[in-house]
Amino acid sequence: MIVEYIQSALLLIAAFLVIVSAVGLLSLPKDMKNVVYGRIHIVGIFDIACIIAMIGLGQYLLAGIYFIIAPFTAHAIANAFYKSEDVENNAELNEVEEEVDDTNPFIVHKSKIQKLEDVESEKLKTDDRFTISTLDIVEEK
Amino acid sequence: MDILIISKYILIIAVMIMMIAALRASAYKSTSMGLLGSSVVVVAFAMALLVCGEMYNLTFYRDISLALIFFGFVGTVAFAIVAGGDK
Repeated sequence: MIVEYIQSALLLIAAFLVIVSAVGLLSLPKDMKNVVYGRIHIVGIFDIACIIAMIGLGQYLLAGIYFIIAPFTAHAIANAFYKSEDVENNAELNEVEEEVDDTNPFIVHKSKIQKLEDVESEKLKTDDRFTISTLDIVEEK
Repeated sequence: MDILIISKYILIIAVMIMMIAALRASAYKSTSMGLLGSSVVVVAFAMALLVCGEMYNLTFYRDISLALIFFGFVGTVAFAIVAGGDK
């Protein structure tokens, strides 16, 4: 009899936590900073509620497996978000990669120009900056 | 009515509410939220199956919920690795 009371208490606690996490998942404002990490945190509460419910139902092995698995899932999702979409915190996502085409003589990379205009590179300034290109014209006979 | 059965029904209702909330959360604009919401839906469905199997003495429901939880985890981690990129 007392085991049933303990089981039902565990299930009721789990149900309460599940409802709290459902309300929290939807009620976070969209424009809040780092809101995705907050939602992942709320899902962690749901995971613990599921573990409590599994213990209440007598499925101890399942509860143990899920207790080990759940943090891996949360970390994988947070890691994927940080690497691919988190523009606020990940500075690498704000960098724009510029393609450098060395074969085209008319397009010169900005860093090369800055190096030419540097005070210390006098030799580069005299040699490379003012070059004369000739155009060969071949007449067809 | 037994208090254990009542608490099981309450848990099933709570899990259904969580499934609806997770479906709404998975519709947010970032890909990671879709991943998070689908992962929660899978776990909530497995939880509902577990409770139903306990109520009606269906033992294979436990196996189905175990498979859902385990393969849901594998799929979530695999998709997260793909979405995270090579860096």
